[in-house]
Amino acid sequence: MQTFVDSTDRMGGEQYRYIAEKMVEDLGLTGTVEGIWMRIRPEEPFFIISIKYREFVGKNTIAELGSVESRKDGVKITLFSEVDVGDALKTLWGVYGRDRVEQGGRMDIRVNGVEAEDVKCIKIREKPIDVGSKVNELALRIIPEGFRVRHVTKRDGEVTIVAAEDPIKEEWKRQAEAAWRA
Amino acid sequence: MLKYLLFEGGLYKHELMTEYLEDVGGFIVQKNVAGLDLIMNLAVPEEELENVKKLAAELKGKIKLAPLIGVEVAVVAPTLSRHHLPHPACDVAENLRRHGAKTNIIGLSRGVGQKIVHSSPKERELIEEHDIAVFTLGNFERCLTKYKPPLYKDLAIPVIVTGGPELGSLEGAQGYVGGIGRYPERARTGDMIDKLRSVSELAGAVVEERRRELDLDPLVLEPTVVKDEVERQIPEAKEALSPNPVTLKIDGVRIKLQYDDYKEKVSGIVINGKRLGEYSVIKRSQMRDYILVKVLPASMFQ
Repeated sequence: MQTFVDSTDRMGGEQYRYIAEKMVEDLGLTGTVEGIWMRIRPEEPFFIISIKYREFVGKNTIAELGSVESRKDGVKITLFSEVDVGDALKTLWGVYGRDRVEQGGRMDIRVNGVEAEDVKCIKIREKPIDVGSKVNELALRIIPEGFRVRHVTKRDGEVTIVAAEDPIKEEWKRQAEAAWRA
Repeated sequence: MLKYLLFEGGLYKHELMTEYLEDVGGFIVQKNVAGLDLIMNLAVPEEELENVKKLAAELKGKIKLAPLIGVEVAVVAPTLSRHHLPHPACDVAENLRRHGAKTNIIGLSRGVGQKIVHSSPKERELIEEHDIAVFTLGNFERCLTKYKPPLYKDLAIPVIVTGGPELGSLEGAQGYVGGIGRYPERARTGDMIDKLRSVSELAGAVVEERRRELDLDPLVLEPTVVKDEVERQIPEAKEALSPNPVTLKIDGVRIKLQYDDYKEKVSGIVINGKRLGEYSVIKRSQMRDYILVKVLPASMFQ
């Protein structure tokens, strides 16, 4: 992840670089956010932040999240990501009961007395993971709280926010448009 | 003048220390026992300091000066949002408590921004109930020097400000510690902990200065005496569930009982043959209607 900071207050800007990097870690977006660009002008005052991120299509069903193999007395599910294990176990326990579902290894789950086709279409989450809203949350956590007037523009994989105390000037919007090229 | 000390030692023969303090006019502010270990916050007349140190050495205990004992500090954050809490306000408060202070964290409703920054009369009154205030501000020099002073410059109590930029001082504040602006994690590095420690040391120096001023016109009663008598004559004060139900301050005490229900009882506490209401101003606190007792100077009774 790259972080670019352009601030007339150099030390303040460096501190915001650190804040941005820590917030990305806290929200679990390290693999998703590709870069953060910030322009900080305490004398105007305004704060522009632009975040580039990888769009992520949420996968929900067991077939999308892992592989399902038939066994003699049931199925063995091997999940691709440890992040999904908790939700998968909870859902399978709810559907089949705890005595028929056990965790064999870190990413393995055995379900007794079922066919593979029955298990593949089970959804472990109601809503897909929404990366866009997490990225919005990231921006809100970084932007200083006093800058409550906001102008937001979104493109695929990029969100840019101009934040200030006063109505947003056209010049600031132009600077936000030129983010990443400046 | 009383000096405040932290004694760390064992339970064995600790009554030698307590009896000595009684003999020389000192007080035990707080006593904590954990197994066979003992930690006491003590108030000792300044002229007895060396004797107390010798006695502590004989008892194989450790003594250190802790001027923040008996002090109530307001740690003020611009708001209660995640931008300002828990770091750095809670880190600053924790360090102050490790040095003996009692702390309250206050979040302003509108301490953010440049033009919108503002504190209400009620907020200022609440902050002024404390002995000193520590304002934990942000990272930009322009904001700290130009826009934030109205939050604290007219307060009637000493103010220390913490912020990101390394500035020598700030107008309107009795002290400033840089390198502690807005940061997103617990202070873990040696540098950060040193910065927090310097806040506590600066607060200690400010408090010592205030105590020296009070010594020029001493209070008619020591707040430690008031605390002891409140706890003895009003048992509910000791049994209240709030932490530190009788909180010592530089010039009085805060009693965490309802003002309307206990004001008369507190006013009627008898110390040295007179009622406490005659020696002090008793008023309602902005904090949950608790009782504030502010002891008056002796010169008012001569």
